[in-house]
Amino acid sequence: MEHKSLSVFTKFHFINPRFWVFSRVVAAMFGGYALATSSSLLIGQLLGESVGKYQAVHISLMLSFLLYTCAVMWVFSVKSAKKAWLGLIVANVLCLALTWALMQLVEMSR
Amino acid sequence: MKDTFRQSMKWLHTWVGLVVGWILFFMFLTGTTGYFYEEITRWMEPERPLITHKVSNSQLIDKAQNYLEIHASESQEWHIFLPNRRDSNLKVSWREQPEIGGTRGKKVKRILDVHTGEDVHIRETAGGRLLYRMHYRLHYLSTKISYWIVGFCTMLMLLAVITGVVIHKKIFSDFFTFRAKKGLPGWLDSHNVLSVIALPYHFMITYSGLLFFLFTYMVLSTNIQVTDAELDEMKDEIYPRSAKVILGNINATMQPISSLYTKTKEIWPNDNLEFIEVYAANDINAKVIFSRGVTDITYNPIDELSFNGITGHRVIEPELDYTIAGSIQNGFFSLHEGQFANTITRWVYILTGLIGAAMIASGLVLWTTKRKPQQLKKVNGADFGYRLVEQLNIGTIAGLPIAMAMYFYANRLLPVDMAERVEWEAHIMFISWALLLIYPAFRPKGNAWLEQLILGAAVFTFMPILNVLTTNKHLGVTLNHGDWQYAGFDLTMLFIGVVFAFVALKFKQSQRKKVSKKHRRQVPLTKMKGVVDTELVLSKASSGV
Repeated sequence: MEHKSLSVFTKFHFINPRFWVFSRVVAAMFGGYALATSSSLLIGQLLGESVGKYQAVHISLMLSFLLYTCAVMWVFSVKSAKKAWLGLIVANVLCLALTWALMQLVEMSR
Repeated sequence: MKDTFRQSMKWLHTWVGLVVGWILFFMFLTGTTGYFYEEITRWMEPERPLITHKVSNSQLIDKAQNYLEIHASESQEWHIFLPNRRDSNLKVSWREQPEIGGTRGKKVKRILDVHTGEDVHIRETAGGRLLYRMHYRLHYLSTKISYWIVGFCTMLMLLAVITGVVIHKKIFSDFFTFRAKKGLPGWLDSHNVLSVIALPYHFMITYSGLLFFLFTYMVLSTNIQVTDAELDEMKDEIYPRSAKVILGNINATMQPISSLYTKTKEIWPNDNLEFIEVYAANDINAKVIFSRGVTDITYNPIDELSFNGITGHRVIEPELDYTIAGSIQNGFFSLHEGQFANTITRWVYILTGLIGAAMIASGLVLWTTKRKPQQLKKVNGADFGYRLVEQLNIGTIAGLPIAMAMYFYANRLLPVDMAERVEWEAHIMFISWALLLIYPAFRPKGNAWLEQLILGAAVFTFMPILNVLTTNKHLGVTLNHGDWQYAGFDLTMLFIGVVFAFVALKFKQSQRKKVSKKHRRQVPLTKMKGVVDTELVLSKASSGV
């Protein structure tokens, strides 16, 4: 449990668990939404070549709700809120970087 | 969050369910009425005539066209609704010219008498349509804010559904082990059974609900991926439509629509052709479209027959071309709305919708049941949060249906010529709900439950009697006439009233049992202030307070 690992701040030991729950809620809501968005960009880019741009975008948006759900579940399943934040940031950056790389590839092949 | 994945998900399930449970209950209940919104509207417009079977469709179309020629000659867009299994009246509507600066004109609806072809003057009411629209267009809030609130709640519902499946260890075997016990195991089992029994429906209704506002909710991703112009093009691809009719601006006399109806009947002899659209009426380019009753789950690309309204020749429209993703989305919409459903399927929809509402209600009650023993041990009484949940539960689960009944009461009791009648029907519903939400604060909780359940039984059972007192379309007349659309509403209300009475009775019995059980544990009867305070007294006694 996270408040154990943070026992240094004994002064706040009463507030701490609640703060970390709040932190997770924020991570799930906004970080999760960001991941739903960035992953949909990646899916849109991945499918674009095979099914056409509009359908790729459409599919990516339809899947985003399910990815959002998974992201939120993951945020609440990991050991600590810090880990959740870190994971979200890494996943977001990864999605954006891959999307960018794919865009470059498509650009080059044209 | 917790030690194991399942425990974390259990925690998440509990809290996402609780946070928006009451709004979800509201959405499920008002949304479910949507499956019968036409029938509800018909009951709320009691001036409408009873079903008459003797007039042929061709004659009805002639009457409708005649009426529209006279009263809607300025309009270019007409609709004729022939009597069908859901709405047995002859109905016409047209779109008025848009006001200056506006893009679309107002739609005007008239019910016509099948014999005279004249307007039956109906009272002003927003009918069943407003009631079901509330489930995504929260009544007093702006469109944009309601969509976002509804989206947030729906997203949490989706989370609750999926985490619910995850935490449910033996999803199939549990299905057969309903323990008809009182208290915690009973409530947990009810919640489980209600969830599992209609799981595909719960998932479908939630996910498709999000799809309705796909571009609103995923606005960031949409804006990054496509421009506004591209989005419009994309929408045309997802929701393909037949080409719009362009006005020729030369007046011409239209063929009798009934003659085109005869032609359509030759091509589709077995289909119900209940809906007729006319575009560019009395213009050289006039087009008349006959729609087959929507009986397919996916939107059928060949559901219409078009004619040139002046020459009477058939116009062959190119088949609508759906993308794969588009058919998936439209398929979900179709499943959500259930427009294709016949009477039996429609009842299944109602039932699953109500199961959804009951699932949410049982989940909310479960939350308090689980915490009750612990809360009752508290020296200073139960926590504020606990009391709030209890109060909202009573005010919503028992209170909202009563408030919805008040919507129907207002329809019958407000003066017919009252100004802002439509608005007040809804105001009365929400005022009633507010009162029922506040009421439990002043009563012991058990009493509040019982009293609101009894009130529910009373208002619903009284509805058919109210109908006798205020209209001439009561059960005695409608049943005699065989008009099951009218009679069905009254009978359903009566049934809901009986269900309320039954639940109230069961509730009372369970309370009495609890008391007698405690009594056996030798608590002096004099210490009991009332049925509900029993446990409080007991726990205080046992903890030595």
